[in-house]
Amino acid sequence: MIRFDQATVTYRGGVTALDHVDVEIPDGEFVVIVGLSGAGKSTLIRAVNGLVPLTSGTVNVGDRDVGQLTKRQLRALRADVGMIFQHFNLVDRTTVLNNVLMGRLNRVPSWRSMLGWWGGDEVELAMQSLEVVEIVDKAYIRAANLSGGQQQRVGIARALAQQPSVLLADEPVASLDPPTSHSVMRYLQKVNRELGITTLVNLHFLDLAREYADRIIGLRGGRVMFDGPGSAADEKVFEKIYGRSLTADDVLEAEASL
Amino acid sequence: MSQVEHDDAGPPAASTAPGAQRPKRPRPSPFLVGGFAGLLAMTIATGADWEFGIGFSLIEVWDGFTRSNSPMRGLAEIDLGSLLGSRARDGFLETVQMAVISTIAGALVALPLALFNSKLGAPNRVAYALVKLFNNIIRSIPDLLWALLFVAAVGIGALPGILALFFFSIGVVTKLTSDTIDGIDHGPVEAARASGASHLQVLRVAVVPQVLPAYTSFSMYCFELNLRASAVLGFVGAGGIGAVIDFYRGQGQWDRVWGVVVGFLIVVIVVERISMALRRRLL
Amino acid sequence: MTGTQAPTAAEKRFEQAVRPEKPFNWFRLIVTAGVVGGFLIGALSVDANWPRLTEMPGELWNMAVLMFGELDLADVPDAAESMWESVAIAWLGTMIAAVLSFPLAFLAAQNISGRVSVGVTRQLLNVPRAIPEIIFAVALIPIFGLGPLAGTIAIGLSSTGTIGKLSAEIIEGSQRGPIEAADASGATTLQRIRWAVLPQVMPEIIAFWLYRFEINIRASAVLGVVGAGGIGTMLQQNIEFREWGTAGMALIVVVLVTIVIDTVSGMIRRRIIRGPKTKTSSARDTRTDAMF
Ligand SMILES: Nc1ncnc2c1ncn2[C@@H]1O[C@H](COP(=O)(O)OP(=O)(O)OP(=O)(O)O)[C@@H](O)[C@H]1O
Ligand SMILES: [Mg+2]
Repeated sequence: MIRFDQATVTYRGGVTALDHVDVEIPDGEFVVIVGLSGAGKSTLIRAVNGLVPLTSGTVNVGDRDVGQLTKRQLRALRADVGMIFQHFNLVDRTTVLNNVLMGRLNRVPSWRSMLGWWGGDEVELAMQSLEVVEIVDKAYIRAANLSGGQQQRVGIARALAQQPSVLLADEPVASLDPPTSHSVMRYLQKVNRELGITTLVNLHFLDLAREYADRIIGLRGGRVMFDGPGSAADEKVFEKIYGRSLTADDVLEAEASL
Repeated sequence: MSQVEHDDAGPPAASTAPGAQRPKRPRPSPFLVGGFAGLLAMTIATGADWEFGIGFSLIEVWDGFTRSNSPMRGLAEIDLGSLLGSRARDGFLETVQMAVISTIAGALVALPLALFNSKLGAPNRVAYALVKLFNNIIRSIPDLLWALLFVAAVGIGALPGILALFFFSIGVVTKLTSDTIDGIDHGPVEAARASGASHLQVLRVAVVPQVLPAYTSFSMYCFELNLRASAVLGFVGAGGIGAVIDFYRGQGQWDRVWGVVVGFLIVVIVVERISMALRRRLL
Repeated sequence: MTGTQAPTAAEKRFEQAVRPEKPFNWFRLIVTAGVVGGFLIGALSVDANWPRLTEMPGELWNMAVLMFGELDLADVPDAAESMWESVAIAWLGTMIAAVLSFPLAFLAAQNISGRVSVGVTRQLLNVPRAIPEIIFAVALIPIFGLGPLAGTIAIGLSSTGTIGKLSAEIIEGSQRGPIEAADASGATTLQRIRWAVLPQVMPEIIAFWLYRFEINIRASAVLGVVGAGGIGTMLQQNIEFREWGTAGMALIVVVLVTIVIDTVSGMIRRRIIRGPKTKTSSARDTRTDAMF
């Protein structure tokens, strides 16, 4: 369970990106967060693993209060929470396998990870993660040589290698074309359904959100404007979240038909 | 599109794929293995204590630095007062004079050479090849070696130092500038050619204006290099602050040697700061 | 156009509008004055024996004739052996500098270390950068005696500054994404460096080590002038005692070896930066092809 309690983030410079947010996410749920650019989606997601500290209020992941953790405990929490990025954030110049093994860093002794001396178990786990996203055949290829969709699958595998209980994805399909976007979303859904990992995804395409989400949270100006099942989020709701009528830019398929 | 779907679109929520085989761990590339072996072989060959090696040993290095020795004692008792003496003042002045004269003269000669040292600027292949060869040879002779040669040719003093830095500057500025010329926009060059300009006219109106900021910047960089180099020319009799350092060293006055070195450091760092600020504005 | 008639008011305005006065270029004047003035003041005030400049071309010609007219192949083995010592000094010195500068580079990189560490390390790296190798060498000779060891350490210490500074800049140029990903998976600072930064920066850093090796060969070729080993001693003594043939052969060996090593090392550097050629870039191509 993830619980935001009056969570507020004010950045240096005075922008309030999260404004007294109260949200509770039970284990195993697939949650999609929508909102305009600047609405605070990334901030919400990054508060979960402590990449962005709260200004006031609390975030709890399980029984851990993120703001109260020591450095070491914070690293342990991050190891337990996988993250997927818009620009994949892979190390281009090394192999896919090495990228995935990055997900194991917190679980191996520091000196061994320095030498790159991974145990057989770690490599096995990395390989299995690659198998989940069906890209194990590329294990020894340099990440730079993969297509965008393939790179994002490696990103997912890296997060899975952490054996996380929570998965965060910050606009995981924003750099991909429509068919690839669906493919990546399906992998996320599969991971959520089959492995029971709580999943939080930021999206700005409404149709994608409605198609994959158990639950949609709509943000605007750092406040929760909507919180309910995907099926309940109709056009009216989206217009309220966005504060304007919808355009072709807000849906993925419109782009595809261009 | 069908290929895309095949490549990227995975099946919907199904169990893990049975199809794909795990690849075997590939052998490290021959380049990597060769490079590593070469590095190791070279280090052992140069460092080991044999006929063709230096006989490098960390113990010896440690012993050397921990044993009491005059240069390090001098460093502890550094004498900054030596900077105020007339000997040091004249040395610094001469160093700056040498650097100024040789940089300006060298950079002036380097501009036409740089034009000829690039594929775009050379009038023909023969000139290109000749200039390239000339420049490669100039550049492979270190500054101190130039100084040795000129001391032999014109006697000791500031003159051989100036000549040495002059040739050294030609090498540096020509190389850097011609590399820039190879990367410039060809549009203006074609426009000039199309208007019937001669080769030299093309260079003057279409190439030189494009490389002028870079050329100026390289010349200033070269001034920094010359200033630094002029501190050592004195060791072979070619004047400048190096002669002062060599004098104190000959007397065993290491406290004064270090005093002058610190003064030199300050001059170099200050000049580098100013020059870098100016160069950043140029580019 | 309007012949001899006085221009009308409209024409005057027309001319004023179209032809601006040529602006006076102060910048150009100042630069020209600075360069010409600097040169003249320098040339007139410096205590150089200018009249001897007229003898220079003749002297150089005589020297060249003597040097390259009396070449003796019997000198080649000696020259080659001394040059090898110079190469060895350059190589070991570069290795020492690589080892010393590597940790310092991370301490000096803004995206890895704190402000204090960066400031202090930067200043520390500035010192050896500004001091020429020869000065290190003369200070090391009383400690390690005449010979290549002093030269090696001199090259090592003085290159540490340059290599450290440039490596720090390369590290600062690495992408933030992978670092963020490492953080998000709970990595420690050392692990982050090892797995997110090193793979990005190692090729460039190693290539720079090689480049510095090329530069250090030029430096080590002259260290012998002060007795710190290598071919410099041979050059200096033979020039001083006017053994022109031997000096010429040594000079030829220096130039040839330098050019050959530059070329080979340059090729290796380009290969390192470019990375391995891959046969499997098709995936990305198909995708873009299919999209357009
Ligand atoms: N590091 C930061 N420092 C200062 N302000 C920030 C920082 N990060 C985000 N902000 C501001 O906080 C607000 C919310 O940012 P956030 O990144 O959470 O939005 P978002 O919904 O993810 O937008 P997008 O769709 O563009 O990614 C924005 O106004 C942004 O400018
Ligand atoms: Mg965002």
